[in-house]
Amino acid sequence: MSTVLVFLEAKSGEPTRISLEALAAGAKLASATGAVLAAAMVGTANGTGFSALGAASAIYALDHPLLAHYTADGYTAACVQLISRLQPEFVLFPHTYEVRDFAPRLATRLGRVLISDVTGFQADAGRVTFTRQLFQGKLNGQYRAASPAPCLISVQAGAFRADAPTATSVAIETFVPELDASAIRTAPSEPFRAAAQTVDLSSAPLIVSVGRGIKDEANIALIKDLADALGAELAASRPICDAGWLPMERQVGSSGQTVAPRLYLAVGISGAIQHLVGMKGSQCVVAINKDENAPIFEIADYGIVGDLFEVVPALTAAVRKAKG
Amino acid sequence: MLLAVPPNSTGFASCIASVVLPGLVPAEPLYFSLDEKLLLASLIAAAGWLFWRRFGTVLKRILSARKDADFRLFPLSRRFWDFFREVLCQTKVIRERPLPGLAHALVFWSFLAFVLVTANHIATGFGFGFLDSSGFFSHFYFLFAALFAVACAVSIAGLFVRRFIVRPVWLAHKDHTVSWESGIIAGLIFLLMVTYLGAFFVSDQSMAARLLWWAHTLTLLSFLPLVPHTKHLHLILSPATVFLSRGGFSRIPPLANDDDFGMVTGRDVTQLTALQVYSCVECGRCTEHCPAANTGKELNPREIILGLRGYLNEYGPASEEPLLGRYNSQQAAFQCTTCGSCEFQCPVGIEHLPVIVGLRRGAVNTGEWDDDHGGKLFLALERNGNALGMGQSERDKFVAREELPVFDGSQEYCLWLGCMGGYDPKGREIIRSFVAVMRYLGASYGVLRKEKCTGDPARRLGNDLVFQQLAESNLETFAQNKVKKIVSICPHCVRTIAEDWKAYGTPPEIEHHSEFLARYQSRLPKNGENSTDSTGKTVFHDPCYLGRYRNVYEEPRSVIRANGTLIEAERSHERSFCCGAGGGLAFLGEEQGARVSETRVQQLVATGAATIGAACPFCNTMFRDALASRGDGAPQLLDIAQIAAAALPRSTPESHDAPLA
Amino acid sequence: MKIIVAIKQVPERDVRIRIDGAGRWIALDDVEFRMNESDAYALEEALLLREAHGGEVIVLSAGPERVGQTIREALAKGADRGIHIVSDTLADYDALGLARLMAAAIRNEAADLILTGLQSDDLGLGQTGVILAELMGIPHSSLILKIEKADTGLKVLRELEDGWFQHIEMPTPALLTIQSGNTKLRYATLMGIKKAKTKELRAVPADSLGVAPTPVVLLDSLALPSRQKTTQILSGTPAEAAAALVEKLQQEVRVL
Repeated sequence: MSTVLVFLEAKSGEPTRISLEALAAGAKLASATGAVLAAAMVGTANGTGFSALGAASAIYALDHPLLAHYTADGYTAACVQLISRLQPEFVLFPHTYEVRDFAPRLATRLGRVLISDVTGFQADAGRVTFTRQLFQGKLNGQYRAASPAPCLISVQAGAFRADAPTATSVAIETFVPELDASAIRTAPSEPFRAAAQTVDLSSAPLIVSVGRGIKDEANIALIKDLADALGAELAASRPICDAGWLPMERQVGSSGQTVAPRLYLAVGISGAIQHLVGMKGSQCVVAINKDENAPIFEIADYGIVGDLFEVVPALTAAVRKAKG
Repeated sequence: MLLAVPPNSTGFASCIASVVLPGLVPAEPLYFSLDEKLLLASLIAAAGWLFWRRFGTVLKRILSARKDADFRLFPLSRRFWDFFREVLCQTKVIRERPLPGLAHALVFWSFLAFVLVTANHIATGFGFGFLDSSGFFSHFYFLFAALFAVACAVSIAGLFVRRFIVRPVWLAHKDHTVSWESGIIAGLIFLLMVTYLGAFFVSDQSMAARLLWWAHTLTLLSFLPLVPHTKHLHLILSPATVFLSRGGFSRIPPLANDDDFGMVTGRDVTQLTALQVYSCVECGRCTEHCPAANTGKELNPREIILGLRGYLNEYGPASEEPLLGRYNSQQAAFQCTTCGSCEFQCPVGIEHLPVIVGLRRGAVNTGEWDDDHGGKLFLALERNGNALGMGQSERDKFVAREELPVFDGSQEYCLWLGCMGGYDPKGREIIRSFVAVMRYLGASYGVLRKEKCTGDPARRLGNDLVFQQLAESNLETFAQNKVKKIVSICPHCVRTIAEDWKAYGTPPEIEHHSEFLARYQSRLPKNGENSTDSTGKTVFHDPCYLGRYRNVYEEPRSVIRANGTLIEAERSHERSFCCGAGGGLAFLGEEQGARVSETRVQQLVATGAATIGAACPFCNTMFRDALASRGDGAPQLLDIAQIAAAALPRSTPESHDAPLA
Repeated sequence: MKIIVAIKQVPERDVRIRIDGAGRWIALDDVEFRMNESDAYALEEALLLREAHGGEVIVLSAGPERVGQTIREALAKGADRGIHIVSDTLADYDALGLARLMAAAIRNEAADLILTGLQSDDLGLGQTGVILAELMGIPHSSLILKIEKADTGLKVLRELEDGWFQHIEMPTPALLTIQSGNTKLRYATLMGIKKAKTKELRAVPADSLGVAPTPVVLLDSLALPSRQKTTQILSGTPAEAAAALVEKLQQEVRVL
């Protein structure tokens, strides 16, 4: 019987959310191809993280002191050994920064190419094709392996819905790879968070931005509440910074900063070109404006036409409630 | 002078007598001794030598500069016409500063009148006086010159008072001083006139006549060597500068060869530029009108020219020393909006824009200019083909949504959207309005499937590489689509296509939408016919690139007059004050000092207008921000296309009228 | 330091996507090509390193004749010479095959450092650099923001998720894939273009490298995504609209 092997990533011993999504993808693929699902994760077998991988019928704890810190060389060598032991049909990874770093090397060592950042698959008469996005999502491509197993795939975050973790009923097997410290050529140091700079909007994942619609300096607090609730940075269009209501460094636009957050929530911003130029790279734009013809709605993904003084407090409350 | 007369009773008495009875001709000594003649000859030689010692050096610097590769002397008609208006009639001098301008013109005309008088004066010293004091012509001419002498003396005294006592700020240098030499020169000119006029009041035989003659001569001979040492060099150079000017407004010369990257070192200063630089009379008109200098920026167009003169004086035109350094700063060069006020105002024919853009070319073409926003702009032009860095697909969507017909060669007009019309929400509104008018008129038009920026910001910022790529690519698109006639809502696009692209091909005919609208004004409904919301009192802001650059002033006004009451701002027409967007500055970062846009908006709001009429999407976007920070009660801002479209019937039929012929 | 920068020529970012007649790739008529964005940052890093430490920057690219344009652009920005793997049928190779071609073309260069962008704007596989490192038998690190010379080799700054970073030391020769946006790109200048004309650009036919196009992964078919981006207006009372938005932020945007 063939195997679908899923490598999970752990943070503080627990599988990450995207790893559980990859496990769910693995389960779907296993059932579509009549394979058994195996899961592997770095850690010690008695770690609590392994007990939540109930979907898998075989679980491996990759346990070696040289795996304590991530290195491409160490992870590649360890995975190669497990793969050559299990001879899986498919090997799935969550598409994370770590996987992007070592999985292509792993695939090359196996003479394969990783099908990366996959959003779905179709299994049809024994032939499995994987969907991945090209041209920043403007085109979908169907990929398939043209070589014997294993086929390596990394799964995009959010593409599959993670099942609720179920407790394991199988014994967790410790797999100790043979690793040689001298074969690990990179020396990573402790990860760190960038020191709190003045304001760096350009790397902020979430931004709430305010424009002329706010009318008065005193009302900025309303927007700040929303930003705090979301955990977002506060930004503004030029008139707000010109008026001195927010410092210049928070200005987004052609004469200010260029930003590309995952969420750009524009409140009371009509959308002059100077502003659009600074935020057009945002992944998702939400606009709240009372003027339904405001240009900002042309580029927004979601819009609320209404009085910001009513909508924003309601939204802040709803966000707080959702976050618990 | 009278006090200097020795207590010789005869002389003194005759002197007194002649004061009472002025003659019809100025007195001149009847006889000059050999000693006097020798003295005169040696003084003339000395003055001539002192003059040449400096003037020869300047002339050599100018002539040893690089030749202007694109200079063509012919056709001469334009040159003579410019010379007649600007030099002989002093039009530029008078127009912008009527009173001091007239005073200057009178001094200048007096100098012309005195050419004959002075020649006769010196010739007399050698016994060859040719203006016979009894002849009719001489009588007439001496009195004619005397009238000018009075006017000149009064004028120069007035100018002296203005420069040294009233002292308008723009006359002063950076360090708030005014050149003291000009005071001496003024004194000498005054003395020349007084000694000429004084001679009318003495008799030929009198000692006073002799003293006055010598005083006049000595003044003249002191004046001569001072001329090339001071800004009064313009007396000699500026007629040539005006006559030899490149012609055309803000004409950016083509790069001469593969090693020409613009103005990098002294080797890149051309003869014309050097001539212009030495012609500067430091009047400060350029600075007075400069939007950068008026809003607290470092840029001062006069100092740019004088800086270049300082450079040439110190290093000469063969130097490898960078031009942006001791004498001119990069910061100043990149603060220019290229509004062209300086060049437009200059009375001695200096072309500031080729210099400022030339310095920018030198800095950009070599990669010296390092500016976050500028770099971003150039990369956006390189990668996206538009200044805003937007995706072409955004334009496609707009074209599809507005159902704009695609130009296929069969339509009369190619409607050029430009970056603003294609991407900017406000620019799109202008396009929408203009299209509504075109549809109403039944005009046959289409838009190109693909457009790139005309390269205007790259051109003005001195990026020849990007400009050339954009111009060539667009010219090819025009040729492929067989475009013959273009209409555009953007004066920057119009200017760049019509003039600057000529360096790389033959652009199709292009006009600004104000010209189109004015032409068909009579076929458009007037406001009030179809709607009630008149634009009311409307102040029109002349865009630099439409007014000074294209000489279009009346067309947009005719659109406003048909739809409301036109009022004028204090600065309008060719004196219009820039919005701050030109020269690529719309895309650069924060401004030093006050914002040009806010300064201009203040001027426009001060008129009490209910509406600001604009005719350029860049002005529009600058004012939009500036008005936004003024809060409620600010006047509304409308493009003339929007004003014209507002008068159309609410539901515009596909074509109301017969198609335009 | 001898640095090789592998760059890719890709269709401009906002290209209008139409699938070609054979259904295998996008229609390329009327398409303009650019240097891949993160490769431009890789080139910039290489130029900065050379400016700081001296050495040579060699650009490497593969593709049909038009790719020469992009190599010349890199030369204009300051690279010293170029290597062009010429092939009109590059699509027959997968990422592994392409990396083999590249490895063969630069095997004799003995570079200290190979840089490439994080991923391409068209295929977005994000692997070619890492594969090349494995083929060359050298260490690598991806998502690099900053490169410094260290006693033992290099010290690089790697971006991790959620605002975390990490320093990594490694010996040379090494391969790094560069993240976009950390440095300021230089613009192309007229002077650069003129200088580039005299620089060496070596054309290497792909056939001459002895790498057979035997892909292990195939791009089977292409399809345009059915859902086009439109603005969803969330209506209702402020509370209803807010609740609807929060749901979108949770389910679709996944930022809550």
